[in-house]
Amino acid sequence: MADKVIFAMYDDDDKLMDGAKHLVSNDVKVSDVYSPMPLHGIDSIIGVEPTRLAITAFMYGITGVMLAIIGIRYMMIVDWPMNIGGKPNFSLKENMLSFVPIFFEFTVLCAAHGMAITYLIRNKTLPGMPPRNPDPRTTDDKFVMEIKTSENTHIKESVLSKLIKDTGFLEIEEKSIL
Amino acid sequence: MDYKISERAKKVTLGTAVLGLIFLIIGFFQQKDFVYAKKVDDHSVELLYNGHADVETQNQLKETIISKMHGYHLEFHDSMHAVDHSSDSNHEEAHSHSEEDNHHGPTFKWLVHIGHAAHGDDHANTGSHESGADMLVDMANSGDVSFFDQGFRRFWSNLLVNGFFFFGIALGALFYLALHYATESGWGVVLLRIFEGIMSAMPIGMAALLIVFIVGTFGGHHIYAWMDSHILDPNSSHFDPIIYGKKAYLNIPFFWIRVAAYFTTFLLFLRWFKKKSKEEDEIGGTKIHFTMYRRAALFLVFFAVFSSTMSWDFIMSIDAHWFSTLFGWYVFSGIWLSGMIMVMMITLYLRKGGYLPFVNESHIHDVGKFMFALSFLWSYLWFSQFMLIWYSNIPEEVIYFTERINNYNILFFGTFIVNFFFPMVFFMSRDTKRSAGFLIVIGMLIFIGHWFDVFNMIMPGTLFDQWELGLLELGMFMMFLGIFVYSVLNSLSKAPLLLKNHPFLEESKHHEY
Repeated sequence: MADKVIFAMYDDDDKLMDGAKHLVSNDVKVSDVYSPMPLHGIDSIIGVEPTRLAITAFMYGITGVMLAIIGIRYMMIVDWPMNIGGKPNFSLKENMLSFVPIFFEFTVLCAAHGMAITYLIRNKTLPGMPPRNPDPRTTDDKFVMEIKTSENTHIKESVLSKLIKDTGFLEIEEKSIL
Repeated sequence: MDYKISERAKKVTLGTAVLGLIFLIIGFFQQKDFVYAKKVDDHSVELLYNGHADVETQNQLKETIISKMHGYHLEFHDSMHAVDHSSDSNHEEAHSHSEEDNHHGPTFKWLVHIGHAAHGDDHANTGSHESGADMLVDMANSGDVSFFDQGFRRFWSNLLVNGFFFFGIALGALFYLALHYATESGWGVVLLRIFEGIMSAMPIGMAALLIVFIVGTFGGHHIYAWMDSHILDPNSSHFDPIIYGKKAYLNIPFFWIRVAAYFTTFLLFLRWFKKKSKEEDEIGGTKIHFTMYRRAALFLVFFAVFSSTMSWDFIMSIDAHWFSTLFGWYVFSGIWLSGMIMVMMITLYLRKGGYLPFVNESHIHDVGKFMFALSFLWSYLWFSQFMLIWYSNIPEEVIYFTERINNYNILFFGTFIVNFFFPMVFFMSRDTKRSAGFLIVIGMLIFIGHWFDVFNMIMPGTLFDQWELGLLELGMFMMFLGIFVYSVLNSLSKAPLLLKNHPFLEESKHHEY
């Protein structure tokens, strides 16, 4: 049987949130939500796992500070020791304090860029990638909820469509995925 | 929701205070102002004292030493003086200038020559000479040859540390309350009574500070060197041209005008905020809220100036030769953070007792975020101040850190590491900022860390290398902590824990994340 995707469109975020709550309380699995702005609390309603972006940010930060230490050690201690302000040279340990601002900045640079790029790749929204949202209006003032029939095989199709009807959508669209 | 301080809380807080007082008294009588002795050779010992002892006390010490070194003939030479005129003969000057030697000030360095009294000649009995020098060194090391400082430096310095620390906690809470009103924040309304409770304990710190300042003004201690009139007298041997240049600002009358201005401003605003919030409970409406809003903004203007000048006056003027332009911010960030930790602790305590049903995880999380963020603010300012001065290495500036690195090494860097790395590592995750266990353990750790931060700001300028961490420090901290927490809980008992007519109350009750 071919999988069917149902897109229910709403013109108000509260309507979508209440609809999602209604569906979830009736054991319907809502697979995704498309919205022009962040909807606070929607992820816990439809059961999206918490983001692991913070963990990647931490790892990028650690990578950044390591790279900075290695780089500075090579540039300022090993390859071309420089005497700036009469500070002790030829030793990373004693010069460490003066390099802290650079460590800090490089850590922030790596964490921020790494996090942003990871985010774009994970969401498949890198510049030039084809849009994945079902309707261009979800970037304007409409909200769309995505329900897959393959994830809701435990509910009869007629019951499911009645439940969705109860949420008071604006438009509905069904697509078959082969 | 009404809170009444429980008998148990009363017993614990006041018990801590009484135990602290006992420790303080024991520690006070245990303290010895050590005179340092260094053996030069068999016949001579160098005695060094970095405190403040007047001529009379110095003579008393000499008599004590002479009576204890019975059977020996002692000669005291001022070796500080000898260093100045190294070309002159020590022996010639020693007696003829003995009067003048005493004018060298409260700090002394004596070279003591030891000879056997029974034999006029030093060479007669080498064995006993050796033991004589050793005996004096032993006596100095064990504290037999020592005296209480005339001004009880250690006691006064500790009173200043604790007075400022606990005054700062209350001031941090007052500042945050004003900030909350001025920014018309909604989330923290359910916590505002706790802020009010903490800031009501401000008079404790103020009283301690006032005692320190009054005694200093009348010359009871020398924490503030610029209070000494000799230092501003060009004819005196104590004349200090740098402090003389700052006398337009650092003089006793102006200092007291400023102290009066700070304390009355803070106290008036504090009382006013408390009065109005109680009035709002009864009357309701938004009129009081908007007057609070304007008055809070006005307070922030005063606070912006006073928090800086206050830290210059109370703390930076101890090292009157030194200055740092971001010192005020640095002190302020510590104050605010300590205040936030106290808010967190009191909130968790009351919440555990079931008095705060309207405070949810998100409120705790937000105070936790403040603890996390302010730790970074503090570390940033600490490091900015330290790194620039260390890097530029200008003698008149770097002396401040030289003292701290040489004599307070572990404390100085340890404070930074504890106050920076612990919050960073343990409060980075969302879950730890919501877990009472993490918040209490790490919160306590950085709370003590920030007490040591104040310690590091004050002690190197007052006790130099003769600091100690003993019962006196522990006792005084416990005493202040006990009285402070008692007075916070006591003032929390006097008003309901919820501002029931605050316009943002509903928003705050439903605050999420």
